[in-house]
Amino acid sequence: MPNVKLRRMKIKLSENLKEEMEKLKEEMVSLKEQLRDVMEIKRRKGRGIYIDIGDRVGDYVEDVMEGVAEGIHGELEKSIFIGPKGVRILRKKKRHRRDEELKANFPEVAEVMSALGHEHRLGVLYELMSGGKYINELQEKLPEITTSTLSSHLKVLEEAGLVVQEKVRGRYLITIPGRTTYKMAKRVTKFLERRDKE
Amino acid sequence: MTWKEYKLDDTISKSTEIIRLWQTETGILEIDKNTLATPIMLNDKRKGYVFHGQGKLLIDTIVETEEGAIGKSLENMLNEPFLMLGVTEDLQKNLTKATEEDLTRKGYKNSQELLDKAESLCNLFFERKLNSHENTFEGRGLVFAFPNENNKLDLLVAKDSKIVYKGTKLVFVSKGNKVVLKIPGEVICTSNGRSVTIKK
Repeated sequence: MPNVKLRRMKIKLSENLKEEMEKLKEEMVSLKEQLRDVMEIKRRKGRGIYIDIGDRVGDYVEDVMEGVAEGIHGELEKSIFIGPKGVRILRKKKRHRRDEELKANFPEVAEVMSALGHEHRLGVLYELMSGGKYINELQEKLPEITTSTLSSHLKVLEEAGLVVQEKVRGRYLITIPGRTTYKMAKRVTKFLERRDKE
Repeated sequence: MTWKEYKLDDTISKSTEIIRLWQTETGILEIDKNTLATPIMLNDKRKGYVFHGQGKLLIDTIVETEEGAIGKSLENMLNEPFLMLGVTEDLQKNLTKATEEDLTRKGYKNSQELLDKAESLCNLFFERKLNSHENTFEGRGLVFAFPNENNKLDLLVAKDSKIVYKGTKLVFVSKGNKVVLKIPGEVICTSNGRSVTIKK
C-alpha cells in the first residue's frame, strides 16, 4: 500500500514539474520576442551609434544601456547623449572644437571661400588637378578667359594659398589646401544633383 | 690671411653687366651691374669671389606630392656680401677693375674696408668647412655661402642638376626626380612621383 501512495505522489509531482517547465518555456519565448521588438539597434554612418530602447523597457535595461554607454564613453572619449528614447553617441567634443576653430577663423575661411567663388577659378583648379601648368597651357585649356583675367584669377588663388607658382620655371601648381577645397566644390556638385532631383 | 691654401687677392673688380652665376631648370643666381668682386685664390689661381652688390637668388623649393604641392619658391635678395667657389674663368670677361668711386657707392671708405668684410665672411666659411681631409672644393661644382641673420651661413651647393640648399628654416635637396624638402615641422621626400611626408 505505501508503495502505491508513493507512486501516486511521484506522478503528481512530475505532472506539476512538467507544467512548470512548460510555463517557463512559454515565458522564455515571450521574453525573447519582447526583447527583439524592444531593442532595435541602428548604426548611423558618421553620426555614431543609436540604440533605440523604446517605451516598454523597464529601468533595468535603461540602467544597463547607461552602463554600456559610459563604458564606450570611457573607451572612445566621445560625448554620449542618453535621452528618454535611447543612447546616442556623439562626437560632440570634436565637433564643438571645430566649430570654435571655424568661428575664430571666419575672416580667413571667408577669404578662401571667396577665392573659390568664381567659375573661372574653379576651372583653373580643375585644370591644375591633373598637374602643374604654365600660364599658356592654362590659357589653351580655358580659351574663354583672357590672359589678363586669368592672371588676376591666379593671383587670387595664390593669395588664398590654393595655388603656388614656381618662380624659376613659372609653372602653377595646386597646393594641398587647393585640392581640399576643390574636393569641397565636388561635394557641392553632389548636393546640387540631389537638389535638382527633388 | 690664408685658409689652408686659399687666400684673398686685393685686386677688386666690378661686374660690367648682369651676370648669371648659376642657372638650372629650378634655380637662378644673378648679380647686377657694378657688383664688387674680391677674388679668392688657390695656388695663384682664381677659384672664387666674394661679391657685394645687388643680386637675386631664386630656387623652386616646392615639392609636388599626390596630395598637392608643398612649399614655395625661395626668393632672396642678395644685398650683403656672399661667397662663391667654383668655375670662374668665364666670369672674368664680365669684370673690370673697380674704382674708388665704385667702392664709395657701396659704402666703403677704401678697398681695405671691403677686404676686411670679405675676410670675415671667409673666416666664417673656411674655418668650418675645411678640415684635415679636404683642402679644396675642387670637383664640387659651385659652392655659395650667404650670411644670415643668425650670423651663420646659408649654403648652396650646385653641380649639374643637383642642388643642395641649407637655409635657416629650409633644407632642400634635389637630384633629378628625387627631392627632399625640410620645412619647420615637416620633411617631405619624393621620388618619381611617389612621396612620403614625415611630420613632427
